[in-house]
Amino acid sequence: MADMKLTRDGKAVLTTYTLGACIGVVLYDPREKVGGILHFMLPESRMDPQKARLNPWIFADTGLPLFFEEAFRLGGEKKRIWIKVVGGAEVMGDSAYFSIGKRNYLALRKILWFHNFPLLSEAVGGNVNRAVRLEVSTGKLWVRTPWGEDREL
Amino acid sequence: MSLVDTILPFITELPPFPAVILRVLQLVEDPNSSAQDIVEVIQYDQAITANVLMVCNSAYFGLRQPVTSLRDALVKIGFNRLIEIVLARGSSYIFYQACHGYRLGVGELWRHSVACALLSQILSARLKKEKNPTQFTAALVHDVGKIILSEFVRDHLEEIKNLVQENHHSFIEAEREVLGIDHAELGGKIAERWRFPPNIISGIRYHHTPLSAPTFQELVSIVYLCDLVALMTGFGGGVDGLSYPGYKEVMKQYGLVEKDLEQIVNQLESELKQVDLILNIR
Repeated sequence: MADMKLTRDGKAVLTTYTLGACIGVVLYDPREKVGGILHFMLPESRMDPQKARLNPWIFADTGLPLFFEEAFRLGGEKKRIWIKVVGGAEVMGDSAYFSIGKRNYLALRKILWFHNFPLLSEAVGGNVNRAVRLEVSTGKLWVRTPWGEDREL
Repeated sequence: MSLVDTILPFITELPPFPAVILRVLQLVEDPNSSAQDIVEVIQYDQAITANVLMVCNSAYFGLRQPVTSLRDALVKIGFNRLIEIVLARGSSYIFYQACHGYRLGVGELWRHSVACALLSQILSARLKKEKNPTQFTAALVHDVGKIILSEFVRDHLEEIKNLVQENHHSFIEAEREVLGIDHAELGGKIAERWRFPPNIISGIRYHHTPLSAPTFQELVSIVYLCDLVALMTGFGGGVDGLSYPGYKEVMKQYGLVEKDLEQIVNQLESELKQVDLILNIR
């Protein structure tokens, strides 16, 4: 939660907590087998710049650029890296007042666009809880919802 | 016999809520009682006292001199913190269990409850209200109905799932339609049996329908909003997920906008250590 994990450890399996309106950004370089997940909670660091310095992973705009940098440092290369996105769920009804999930997703899209990263696939929105699991040796990614079986994304 | 008639008798199978906690809740509402009076009541319960002292002496508080009595704790960590620990200690054994029908594993409902209780204090402060143990308790126990309804939700999950996924019912509407009662109303009945004060009963009963609450609207609205924020933040989200209605009327009534909810999430994240501290009180 408001955290990031990147690794080249082929034995590693990375998971998130239940995401709710938060977003799990999954990054993978299939050749170097560098894989990681960023779990951010809020779109913009503007609300609390001091917090962003203490824990940049909580915000999309401070977490994502550092997440990319860290992936490059571990040997990931931009032209091979794929990104998949999970989470950003919403409550029902008056979405303008309860739109953290949507705002998280829009912030993410903006940053991916700015950094010129394509988004390979996503499981976002709706009212459903999701959690993810990334197998670093293969790059296989599963999305778990409480309704049923894990689904590969 | 309807399904509700089958469900209601299970209320009597829940363990009683600790008498000492109920007494504490009475005293905090009584303007004539002092913090010392409350401490005196608590210290008669040795199990709770021992546990509270252990928590006060944990690394979290980083006290140089160990806390040796509740009076000592009152001075060193303050009344609100002390009461929160006592309330958590009194509730955790009921809320720690798994609710399989909601696909909540062991400890997950408790995690949701604790997040909600801390959020209630964060939101109260934001609304310029004093921190208050009654509000904390209402948020902590708001989902008690799930403990009993869980088994029935499990038995009828396919029907509930259809209503939620195909007909876009909220989870609470689907519970009502399929089971004849929802977890909020059932929770209200449990709280009545436990002889909770009426404001906490309302907080439980109307935590998904705050606009219908006839009294104690503010307490109810805070529980309602904190529940939504806890769900949005992924604290203990089960099969019901975020399938609950967000009402802009409640936000407008308290002059809140979307950014306020983001601030509350941000503050909760700063207090995750405190969440962990309370989670481990058992």
